[in-house]
Amino acid sequence: MTTRKSPYPYWFVLPAAVIFIVLFMVPTFASLWFSLTRWDLVNAEFIGVENYRQFFREPFLIQGLVNTIIYAVLTSGTKTVLGLLLAVLLTSGIWAQGFLRTVVFFPVLVSTIGVGITSSVLMHPTRGLINVALAGLGIHGPGWLTDPALALYSIVLVDLWKGIGLATVIYIAGLASISPDYYEAARIDGATRRQMFFRVTVPLVKPATITVVTLSLIGGLRSFDLIWAMTRGGPGFSSDVLASVIYKQYQAGFYGLSTAGNVILFILIGLIVLPLTAWFNRKEVDL
Amino acid sequence: MSSVVLSNIGKSFGSLEVMKGVDLTVEAGEFCVFVGPSGCGKSTLLRMISGLETSSAGQIFIDGKEVTGVEPSARGIAMVFQSYALYPHLTVRENIGFGLSLARRPKAEIEEKVKQTADILQLSHLLDRKPKALSGGQRQRVAIGRAIIRNPKVFLFDEPLSNLDASLRSQMRFELTELHAKLGATMIYVTHDQVEAMTMADKIVVLNGGRIEQIGAPMTLYNHPATPFVAGFIGSPKMNLFEGEIAEREGCRTYGIRPEHIVLSTMQGKWQGVVKHIERLGADTILHLDVSGLPSLVVRTDGDRPIAVGKMLFASPVAGKEHSYV
Amino acid sequence: MTRRQLYTGVTALAASAVIFILPFLFIFITAAKTKQDAARLTFTLPAEWRLWDNLMEVVEARNYMLLLAYFNSTVITVASVALLVLFGAMVGYVLQRRSSAWNKLIYACVLAGLMIPPAVVPTIWVLQSLGLFKTISGMILIQIAYGLAFSILLFRSFIATIPRDLDEAAIIDGAKPLQIFFRVILPLLKPVTVTVIVVQSIAIFNDFTNPLYYLPGRENVTVQLTLYNFQSQFQTQFNLLFMNILLVTIPPLIVFIFFNRQIVAGMTAGAVKG
Repeated sequence: MTTRKSPYPYWFVLPAAVIFIVLFMVPTFASLWFSLTRWDLVNAEFIGVENYRQFFREPFLIQGLVNTIIYAVLTSGTKTVLGLLLAVLLTSGIWAQGFLRTVVFFPVLVSTIGVGITSSVLMHPTRGLINVALAGLGIHGPGWLTDPALALYSIVLVDLWKGIGLATVIYIAGLASISPDYYEAARIDGATRRQMFFRVTVPLVKPATITVVTLSLIGGLRSFDLIWAMTRGGPGFSSDVLASVIYKQYQAGFYGLSTAGNVILFILIGLIVLPLTAWFNRKEVDL
Repeated sequence: MSSVVLSNIGKSFGSLEVMKGVDLTVEAGEFCVFVGPSGCGKSTLLRMISGLETSSAGQIFIDGKEVTGVEPSARGIAMVFQSYALYPHLTVRENIGFGLSLARRPKAEIEEKVKQTADILQLSHLLDRKPKALSGGQRQRVAIGRAIIRNPKVFLFDEPLSNLDASLRSQMRFELTELHAKLGATMIYVTHDQVEAMTMADKIVVLNGGRIEQIGAPMTLYNHPATPFVAGFIGSPKMNLFEGEIAEREGCRTYGIRPEHIVLSTMQGKWQGVVKHIERLGADTILHLDVSGLPSLVVRTDGDRPIAVGKMLFASPVAGKEHSYV
Repeated sequence: MTRRQLYTGVTALAASAVIFILPFLFIFITAAKTKQDAARLTFTLPAEWRLWDNLMEVVEARNYMLLLAYFNSTVITVASVALLVLFGAMVGYVLQRRSSAWNKLIYACVLAGLMIPPAVVPTIWVLQSLGLFKTISGMILIQIAYGLAFSILLFRSFIATIPRDLDEAAIIDGAKPLQIFFRVILPLLKPVTVTVIVVQSIAIFNDFTNPLYYLPGRENVTVQLTLYNFQSQFQTQFNLLFMNILLVTIPPLIVFIFFNRQIVAGMTAGAVKG
């Protein structure tokens, strides 16, 4: 009796597996070790958790950690709520609906560096178009990127500008999957528009919500390009995030410390995203 | 218990007129079935009564009051959808009580009414389950429960049995008829299945292409179909309908005779033909006779007749059971 | 359309014009101005239209660095995407068709690939040991490694819609595994392949972070890096800076115009259960 060879051979997985393991898994596991060392890419001197202690001691490192969380929560939270509202608006049959969807989504595809550079020009405290326009309305525009208290939040605004389209488009797909019967049944029961939104739409659009929250949280925690293009983490380090900290330490040659930053980011993502996904999936909606 | 009156109802989608001049009365407490092939307008008519769609012309009255243009929730109707529309994230209890909770009724009141409804439909032991943990028949009962709890003047059913398999369907037909007897409510029921119409209705409305072909009690439609369409639609197997030469011979445009109203003989008869196809169903046997001048004559006879393909037979219509249409 | 729908639409359009369209208009008109005109940073039409001259100046800057960057970016994008499609389809295929204990592990790796931030310095260390650091080939392999998770996910769910009967008919006809994959399955994957190509191409073309880490050096410039470097170069020449941004924005725009549907489909995969 010959064993039938499967038409779906394991070796199909091989090329992808080799590349993935060598260039992704190996570095990830290695990072756990190297984060505990002082390293110059050739020699690694074991120093225990000294790198991590530094991270929680140096103000500019702590700031990066805190900023990362603020940035992620703000962008993710806004995208989740605003994205759904926009999606509802853009599926309600208003005039120029198709064009509006395109306009909202296009920034998602544009170079982040390009957006960052343009935004920093527009946000120039005196000559930037935004403050010039505000001055025309009699409002004294703030130092968007020059005020340390404001810089991070200005970048959050640009991030939202660029990314809201993706959340909206995902929600639009989710909304399309809700059968009109649910709304009709609610209409017969006398539901108001508000009730329809909170008691029919929101529960039934959950798969899309999960996707948006997860994607935007992970993206927000890992965000680098926009921040680097707009402020390099400044003024000072008021808009530094973990990703920019990792790069700065790398540039300065502190490879061990930089890698520790990577591990912290890794743990942070795990700590936030995994419980969230588990919580979402426990309240499972079977459509 | 309320009557429903439709007066001169018309419906257009843009420039396409799909319905015109429909007049119809459903008496209080009646079980009225709208039946017809796909696209005949039966669902559209039901949805206009519910208020989910607006009529382009005409008026609708429920319980003597005009409801044309009134929101569905204010018409005193309740609807059971083909897909049941049970909210997957809510339990049976919450689904049934959904409407009351929207109206912000006190919790105790909702609790009590849900319990009563569940008792009527034997759902009491399922109240804390979610729809995905229910069988097809159970889900349907929950959908009915959601309608009952509204205490409506009229119940509207939109092809509720289409998603069930055959054996379950016949059981649910019986349960729905029983429910009607128990509640005594006015029920309007849409289906494409003439068996459901015949077995459940007090009154049948046959629709075709946006027009009412005939309204009447099941046996009236069976014995005296007003048009060839109704004649061919009601009754299974379908009535034999012939046009052309043979109809001319009988003095009309269309001539019809039901398969069960044909007598067979080996010796003499009006038509002579060869058996070309036999379907044995056990209690009945359906024969397809190849008669010259006719496309095919379908005859129904008893189950254990010793007839084989190729046999030559004579067939004659039973007197008084022939139908002719000009 | 009701009156309300019309009014809401008009309002939304006005708002979106200010928020979304204005910035792009600003980029365009500034890119067409002279140096002095552009330095004023006003939202006015160019006094003199210098679109072509500015374009030439940007292209010629630093010894035609932009052209080199375009070349490098294109090579990286094409090679990476081609292999991503091939390898992603192969894994997605086995993952969907074959039920085995390994599947759980592969799924876990896919999820890890989506979530875990790459450990950059250790990756440089690995690349150096392999002699791939600062090479285009190295960059290509990196893009493949980082893009596999998403591609596998897309292919897997699409292959789920191809009936197994087709595989089995081919097996009865005597086809070997490779033949089944290339001659039966792959041709049927055209829609999702287009989506993967389009989405990944835009992502890799727009990638700044990875070339920054793994491909430093003059000969290796990619388009985004060039844009970044020219920021200091063109510090007082806003017209050239925005022309540069315009040039970098155009390729994805063209792709978007032709493949809008596929892009949206790819990015919403997973939004609806199934």
